[in-house]
Amino acid sequence: MAFATSISDVRSGAAAPALAPESPVVWPARTVRTLANGLQVVLVESHIIPKLSGQLLFRSGSAAAETPGLADMTATTVRTGTASRTSRQIEEELRRLGADLGSSAGADTSAISFSGLAEFSAELLALVNDLARNASFPAAELERERRHQIEALRIERTTPGFLAGERLRKVLFGSHPYAIVSPAEEQVASYTREGLEGYYRAHYTPGNALLVMAGDFSAGAMLTQIEKIFADWRAPQPAASSHPDPPLPQGRRVHLVHLPGSVQTQILLGNHAITRKHPDWLRLTLANSIFGGAFNSRLVMNIREQKGYTYSPRSSAHPLRQHGWFSVGAAVRNDVVAATLTEIFYEIDRMRALPVGDAELADSRNYMSGVFSLGLATQSGLAGQLVNVYLNGLPEDYLETYREKIRALTADDVLTAARRYFDSANAQIAIVGDRAQIEEQAALFGPSTVYDAQGNAQ
Amino acid sequence: MSQLQIPIEHTQLENGLRVVVAPDRTAPVVTVGVYYNIGFRLEPQGRSGFAHLFEHMMFQGSERAGKMVHIKLVNSSGGVLNGSTRYDVTNYFQSVPSNALERMLWLEADRMRALQVDDENLRNQRDVVKEEVRVNVLNQPYGGFPWLDLPPVANRNWANAHNFYGDFSDLDAATLADVQTFFKTYYVPNNAVLLMLGDVQPADGFALARKHFGAIMPNRSLPQADTSEPPQKEERRATVEEKFGTLPALAIGYHAPKRRTPEWHALAMVDQALHGGRAGRIYRQLVLEKQVAVDSEGGIHYPLGDVFDYNGPMLMTTRILHKPEFSAEQTIAEFDAVIREVQEQGIAAIELEQVKVKFRSDYYSSLEGGLGGYIPRFGLMHYAACFTLFDGDPTLVNSILDGFMAVTPEQARAAAQKYLVPTNRAIVIRTRSAAAAHTGAA
Repeated sequence: MAFATSISDVRSGAAAPALAPESPVVWPARTVRTLANGLQVVLVESHIIPKLSGQLLFRSGSAAAETPGLADMTATTVRTGTASRTSRQIEEELRRLGADLGSSAGADTSAISFSGLAEFSAELLALVNDLARNASFPAAELERERRHQIEALRIERTTPGFLAGERLRKVLFGSHPYAIVSPAEEQVASYTREGLEGYYRAHYTPGNALLVMAGDFSAGAMLTQIEKIFADWRAPQPAASSHPDPPLPQGRRVHLVHLPGSVQTQILLGNHAITRKHPDWLRLTLANSIFGGAFNSRLVMNIREQKGYTYSPRSSAHPLRQHGWFSVGAAVRNDVVAATLTEIFYEIDRMRALPVGDAELADSRNYMSGVFSLGLATQSGLAGQLVNVYLNGLPEDYLETYREKIRALTADDVLTAARRYFDSANAQIAIVGDRAQIEEQAALFGPSTVYDAQGNAQ
Repeated sequence: MSQLQIPIEHTQLENGLRVVVAPDRTAPVVTVGVYYNIGFRLEPQGRSGFAHLFEHMMFQGSERAGKMVHIKLVNSSGGVLNGSTRYDVTNYFQSVPSNALERMLWLEADRMRALQVDDENLRNQRDVVKEEVRVNVLNQPYGGFPWLDLPPVANRNWANAHNFYGDFSDLDAATLADVQTFFKTYYVPNNAVLLMLGDVQPADGFALARKHFGAIMPNRSLPQADTSEPPQKEERRATVEEKFGTLPALAIGYHAPKRRTPEWHALAMVDQALHGGRAGRIYRQLVLEKQVAVDSEGGIHYPLGDVFDYNGPMLMTTRILHKPEFSAEQTIAEFDAVIREVQEQGIAAIELEQVKVKFRSDYYSSLEGGLGGYIPRFGLMHYAACFTLFDGDPTLVNSILDGFMAVTPEQARAAAQKYLVPTNRAIVIRTRSAAAAHTGAA
């Protein structure tokens, strides 16, 4: 035994150099203004490269639309024409400005995100302003995008990761709009120009918007430029949408999506969790990091590095505006589906039963606080951090106090979070693969329902 | 446009290790990378996929840092890490708070000096790699298309033409002896470059490099491999079965001109004009205007890299998903019309100017972030490493744009006329299998 111990000591990394004293992390000053029309503006200077990175976000996404997917189709079509620009003119102007632009909708937000050369910032902002206010939804552009969306949906329905995520969201959120991650083909077929324009007029408004930019500019001059471009934008606030809470699924259940010919099985299990504003949020993220949110986590160590069942196992906490969810995912070879689920539930239950040790806790706190400051080093990273703070209404000093809050968390905090949010007893298990190879293994973990790739129960 | 002036200092240790430091005090963060001048082109015959499998083995333990210790020490220092295998390089990198710099150098030096792995590690990572291949290729619609499909059709030299992810039988055949031989041959200081970017002073970085890497033995007989391709005389074609995807697809690849020549600069500008997003001619004409295709993407070294980060024969590839109501031949005919237009009418000065602005802007973004932004300065590290290993000069990062910005409309047109011809291309048509046609929605 002594011999074995000394071998393991030599290779334990104990000889690695100690960490030098920490350098202070200084977050750059933010310029925050709300214009008279209600547009909230957050700017931060970042002179790493002669570019800027920004997002114009509206606090309405697919959950605020009558028809699933309508918000995303609206966002997609926004870039295909305005009162004064054709689709081709928009794309070629972006190229001339050295810019990239994306427009999309999530569950709670619609976003126009952009980056480009700082020397052309006024022209890029004028173009973003045009898309946000004067989109014209040309009929021919809508028809083309409609066909593209239908073809994309058909391909999604052959993609294991998509099918698992879609099924899990459906069983977790039931009749709530958060249950729908992609529309049905008939719904895409039903979109009208008027429907898109109606959503756009109601939700793309300054009082519903947040403009965040990080880049190689002077914040004062940029604010003046933004006021000049956006100040005359007037539109009423949309009514806040709200939906009744979905019932929480009770009891562990298996939801198997049959994808014939699969040579691997996608597992994705999960349960309800919390929003980012919930007081337990940091506790949950630390518990997640120890469980399966980092490479050096229990889940990865177990089912990848010890057992070789999978390449990229991960767990995640997903915050939405009104609810949140927690998930554990792994794509595994077909003959170890039951073995993998056994290990996942073992690791979950270990998190729920036993306090984490001091060394593991310290390592994980260091990981969380260190990785947070990597976000300082790129314009898009900075913009993303600011979006997180201002979209969620987090305290102004959130960035500055994050590290000390993480360092104050205890083993008890981790245990509390695991018991509340790693809900092994009521976990919903989505499994995508070839039914003949995995159904018996899956059925060991709860009552099963089998679906085809179109979502029909069998 | 003024030339970039990113501070970059470099030196070479007596054992041949090149060391590059790019200081930048923006944040108390440092990115540390080690690049080895060995990619999947040069893996041994009968061992397809070995360079990538070996990359996994480099995370399995070294003499003073056993299995998982490297990963644990990076994460617990507040950092993230990864590695990747490409045509001509394999890289290992981590971003950490700068107080962990020396610890990272110690870890990288230990595995360069004394990788220590066993059969159990090899079996475990062989299983992991097989699941990686399944999740990325075998169990996905359009998996590996076209980066695994096109090279065997377009190329004749095994180095450029084999399955880079690896046939499972070849992965199974790999032994611990293969791992040790590969390590001793290629994972040596005189075949590598060490990079430190961010919150580190060059003198400190060089001193730490000497301290931790200076005693590692070089390989004085590094093999010189031949990756050249014989000249192509006629168009090459093949068909590959698509098991899941619902749309027909095809890919077209043209051999690109030799790196760092005026023709290479010119074709890169043509590439940007053709493949530059929704403004690019192929997407605009095939997807937006004629609506033959539903999606198209492409570029030189697409989708694994870009024009800067390879060193040998390379394709400019276009990947198209087209509507089932158009045949592959009709789709190719529409693609050919786009190419013919560039050859006959060239690229107008105003379009070429736009293309250059976008090319320059994209380059800045790559330097800043790259790789999804989670590794700060990834692109600066990546380009500086490639320019060191391929060209002996990391400061090319500051001047490499010049040649592209000098391209004239005449040069662009001439490059299109010379290189974008059927006798210089390969086409792979991905057709739906009977099983997919039976089960998919259509």
